[in-house]
Amino acid sequence: MFNIVVCIKQVPMVTELPWDEKTGTLKREAAAGMMNPACKHAIEAALQLRELYGASITVMTMGPPSAEEVLREAIAMGANRGVLICDRLLAGSDTYATSFALGRAVKKEIPDHDLILCGAYTSDSETAQVGPQLAEELNIPAAAYAEHIDISGRTMRVRRLVDNFRETLEMDFPALVTVSMERYKPRYVSFAGLSRSFDGADIRELNAQDLGMMSADLDACGSRTRVRRVFIRKTAKENVRITGAAAVAAAEFLDRYQRSISAVIGRAIEAKKQI
Amino acid sequence: MTKQKSIWVFGDYRNYFQNRVTLQLLSKAVDLAGVIGAEVCAVVVGHNIEEWIMEYTAHGADRILSIDHPSLTSYSTEHYLALMQQLVTQRDPDIILIGATDFGREFAPRLAKRLQTGLSADCVGLDITPEGLLIQTAPSFGGNMLAEIVTEMHRPQMATVRPGIFKEIPHDYERTAIVERLPLPSGLPVPRARVIEYERAVQREHTIENATVIVCGGRGMGNKNNFKRLSELAGLLGGDVGATRPVVYAGWAGHNALVGQAGKHIKPKILFSFGISGAIQHTAGLGEANFIVAVNKNPQATMMKMADVAVTADAGDFLNNLIRELKKRIRD
Amino acid sequence: MQFNPCMKHKLIRASARHFAETELAPIAAEIDQHRIFPRDVIARMRQLNYFGLQVPAHYGGAALDSISAAIVVEELSRVCAAIGLCVTVHNGVAVYPFLQFADDRQKEKYLFRLASGEDIGAFSLTEANAGSDAGSVETTAVRNGGSYILNGTKIFVTNGGVCNIALIFALTSLPDAKLQSSVFIVEDGFEGFLRGELEDLCGMRANPVSSLFFEDCRVPEENLLGKPGDGMKIGLSTLDNGRIGVAAQALGIAQGAMEASVKYARERQQFKKPIASQQTIQNYIADMATETMAARLMLYRACELKDAGAPFGCEASMAKLYCSSVASKVTSLAVQIHGGYGYSKEYDVERYFRDAKVTEIYEGTSEIQRMVIARSILSQPIL
Ligand SMILES: Cc1cc2nc3c(=O)[nH]c(=O)nc-3n(C[C@H](O)[C@H](O)[C@H](O)COP(=O)(O)OP(=O)(O)OC[C@H]3O[C@@H](n4cnc5c(N)ncnc54)[C@H](O)[C@@H]3O)c2cc1C
Ligand SMILES: Cc1cc2nc3c(=O)[nH]c(=O)nc-3n(C[C@H](O)[C@H](O)[C@H](O)COP(=O)(O)OP(=O)(O)OC[C@H]3O[C@@H](n4cnc5c(N)ncnc54)[C@H](O)[C@@H]3O)c2cc1C
Ligand SMILES: Cc1cc2nc3c(=O)[nH]c(=O)nc-3n(C[C@H](O)[C@H](O)[C@H](O)COP(=O)(O)OP(=O)(O)OC[C@H]3O[C@@H](n4cnc5c(N)ncnc54)[C@H](O)[C@@H]3O)c2cc1C
Repeated sequence: MFNIVVCIKQVPMVTELPWDEKTGTLKREAAAGMMNPACKHAIEAALQLRELYGASITVMTMGPPSAEEVLREAIAMGANRGVLICDRLLAGSDTYATSFALGRAVKKEIPDHDLILCGAYTSDSETAQVGPQLAEELNIPAAAYAEHIDISGRTMRVRRLVDNFRETLEMDFPALVTVSMERYKPRYVSFAGLSRSFDGADIRELNAQDLGMMSADLDACGSRTRVRRVFIRKTAKENVRITGAAAVAAAEFLDRYQRSISAVIGRAIEAKKQI
Repeated sequence: MTKQKSIWVFGDYRNYFQNRVTLQLLSKAVDLAGVIGAEVCAVVVGHNIEEWIMEYTAHGADRILSIDHPSLTSYSTEHYLALMQQLVTQRDPDIILIGATDFGREFAPRLAKRLQTGLSADCVGLDITPEGLLIQTAPSFGGNMLAEIVTEMHRPQMATVRPGIFKEIPHDYERTAIVERLPLPSGLPVPRARVIEYERAVQREHTIENATVIVCGGRGMGNKNNFKRLSELAGLLGGDVGATRPVVYAGWAGHNALVGQAGKHIKPKILFSFGISGAIQHTAGLGEANFIVAVNKNPQATMMKMADVAVTADAGDFLNNLIRELKKRIRD
Repeated sequence: MQFNPCMKHKLIRASARHFAETELAPIAAEIDQHRIFPRDVIARMRQLNYFGLQVPAHYGGAALDSISAAIVVEELSRVCAAIGLCVTVHNGVAVYPFLQFADDRQKEKYLFRLASGEDIGAFSLTEANAGSDAGSVETTAVRNGGSYILNGTKIFVTNGGVCNIALIFALTSLPDAKLQSSVFIVEDGFEGFLRGELEDLCGMRANPVSSLFFEDCRVPEENLLGKPGDGMKIGLSTLDNGRIGVAAQALGIAQGAMEASVKYARERQQFKKPIASQQTIQNYIADMATETMAARLMLYRACELKDAGAPFGCEASMAKLYCSSVASKVTSLAVQIHGGYGYSKEYDVERYFRDAKVTEIYEGTSEIQRMVIARSILSQPIL
């Protein structure tokens, strides 16, 4: 019976993004929240591993009080229990501080953790940094973008696709894996599950003090980065015009755009080297 | 004497594409270094890496820190972490830039954490103040918004940078750099994540809804044969073919290629639109296309006005030429 | 009285919406056009408790409160009203009477199957000569040994083509020789229980609405729901509950049509600007949004009364009357905003427009609702 911890995050619905232009921070309380889509894949992976090998699944989130919602949703999907890390002191944490707090909570609440699962990235700040940094915090091996996980004894194998290489990695527990969105398609939430998740579900709340993060060592656990401002990418298109004979136009087009096309398709496009 | 300022670029070279990002970062590092009077330093670790030392010198590095050892033959995040942590601690660079490849985005966060400093992810813009504060612009919310991120109190300042954003400096094989060939430090950890197998991947299967490149054709393709050639372009770009309704009704394409109100909603990073007028029923399906290239003989067509790049040409002609030119330029 | 959705209601809505958008949205137009009942999607819905919304957990249901159940129907109907209909009729008028009137043995036997969706339910009152006038049922159930023998024809049975369990209203003769309607639980496979062709309807086309025929159909005595002659009581009480479901369905249709219109009005350019910048279109949208909101509050209010155990029939009728009229108006404006395209099958609002109408007809026409409401108001004592 393994102890699996799944870290999940509540993100604002993408259709509405109220943010404070002055402070450059999101008015999260003003936006309806939802579970970060990639985190659902991580939960699905945990559930499938539990079906195969037996496990107890703890879902953990750090966020405002409303983040309790994603814990309930995860419990409705099948997780065994939830941990909510919630404290004003932690508001605005960057990935460094987030991974610190998550790490402390994992050590405190699930000291005998075997496997930590994270989503590949979030749909709001999209850094994909929390998983790898949490592995550092816990000083355990990690693999990002897992598409398939096998367990045998206390060793697991992770298949993944990175930079156009197919890799199989092997790690011993405890270890951390971030789950790719290509596989482990999340199951739907059943209504009976939702009812149960509001009916005596085991959810524990921790604050900064519980985690031993007092203001004294705030520098050790505090944020390193600061978001100076958030702004809408200007949508006005350049509308570059290319005319002329088709052969010339095609060459001109590639001269100007082959670099960005190459970056998207992951293949080299280069004009013949001039001599 | 004040310490020599230094901007580091991590040499990521496992495939052509990763190497390109490294070159782009070197070029940006040269710009930034100019503002604050820093040197540009490339870190290259691995085995048989002479090629990269030469290339990074030719592309703008002032200094190369290299560690060449057979035990570094294959990429290992954990080895690289230990080596970089040591180098950084010894030499105290101001800034470290790492390509936002899959490798970089797994490696950089752990390095930043070990160095107890900040990191911004997948930047699409980098600026620097004369005092040396790196302004890192990173996309958020699916690229709809941009965030400006700074690491004020901790050093080095670290960022991963999206491929294809910065333009590399043309190589100059006359350039020289100080190349420091360092020994492999003793006591390198045994990696806890062991690579059991790895192989180059074949293209991932995709559907039109999640394709990153889509080549759409409309009535302006003229006939079924011309239309069929769109799949050749799509193939070269690893993309899919889409169609407008008249084209589907004419039988040039199947119904599952239909894009628009009555068909698929697509969100490619690059959309080619050949011979399409841009009726609202079609464009309703393009809500999220990132970069649109339209080809039409009528420069006033709505599709041409919506495009990032509008090519006034005969669609079939331009397509043939583009395919020919691309085949010359694509290499792996 | 609480106007903000609680965490649970938010999650219920999000879950139902996610399911409807991923599973129903891609097929809604096609199953409408070709009158297909999407069995594979229904199979997935079974596992998610769509067929046991308010059934207690010990019978395998989700034990939801009434607002939650209304939200589920609303979200399904926002995308595909015909499937919303399947679910609301199953839960609201086929399962509900079991919860209220069945004896323990009947509950044991049928509730698990219904709640799991293994069996789909139908509620069959209407006959050719008994529409608004439910008292004019002509189907007969004659006692014969330990059974009743049913003869007659039911029409317009929602889920009729696929139901495994149908509640049939038929006349029985009571000891005093008066004919009174009673309700029978009829199972698929009972001899003499036959189905007619699917109706070719204006809307709700993906729902297999059909006739049911009874030709000397033998129904065991223990399948009588309630007592002989309880038909009227069961019928009225069940319809009170069903109306909440139809109101939720109408509300979902209105919501879907409104959202489609807002999106279209922003995109569609005429006179070189989006039509949404025209005041007339803005007025339409303001009315649609306001009335949809009012409809929603009215509906949830009826749900709240029901869960509190208070009488809710009048409020359910009001909600049904208002929500269905809003649905008709909003969908008609939606077509208007879409212009000619809105009149084409390529656009969803055309389907919404067709689907909305029947919410003013079934489970009591708007005229009948007014009758019920007026009766209730006028019967209140004068102080
Ligand atoms: C616009 C914007 C830009 C930002 N840019 C940066 C930046 O460049 N650098 C930086 O350090 N910080 C940045 N932040 C702060 C960052 O959003 C927070 O630290 C956040 O808590 C985690 O980062 P993420 O959302 O990118 O997570 P990711 O690293 O993308 O998340 C991956 C996975 O980590 C887990 N996870 C992440 N957050 C939590 C959580 N709160 N609780 C439980 N599990 C979690 C989940 O499994 C998730 O799927 C930014 C914030 C904003 C609003
Ligand atoms: C209810 C409804 C729903 C619809 N749904 C959809 C839908 O989902 N998807 C969809 O695509 N359409 C849909 N349509 C049809 C839509 O309105 C347009 O008719 C259609 O998109 C036009 O396709 P087109 O651009 O290929 O053709 P046209 O509008 O005929 O445009 C052809 C374009 O090609 C250019 N051209 C011609 N010859 C050449 C040449 N040799 N070289 C270069 N350019 C050339 C012309 O200048 C013109 O701009 C729908 C219509 C209705 C009424
Ligand atoms: C898609 C669909 C699904 C249905 N599903 C079911 C089902 O599952 N089970 C079931 O039992 N039935 C079902 N019905 C039948 C439905 O409930 C009846 O059609 C409805 O009750 C009206 O009856 P009627 O059609 O006979 O109209 P009528 O009763 O003939 O009414 C015709 C008109 O006269 C008006 N009218 C009648 N009496 C009065 C009065 N006293 N005062 C003022 N106006 C009056 C009505 O309001 C209406 O406008 C369904 C119908 C449809 C179309």
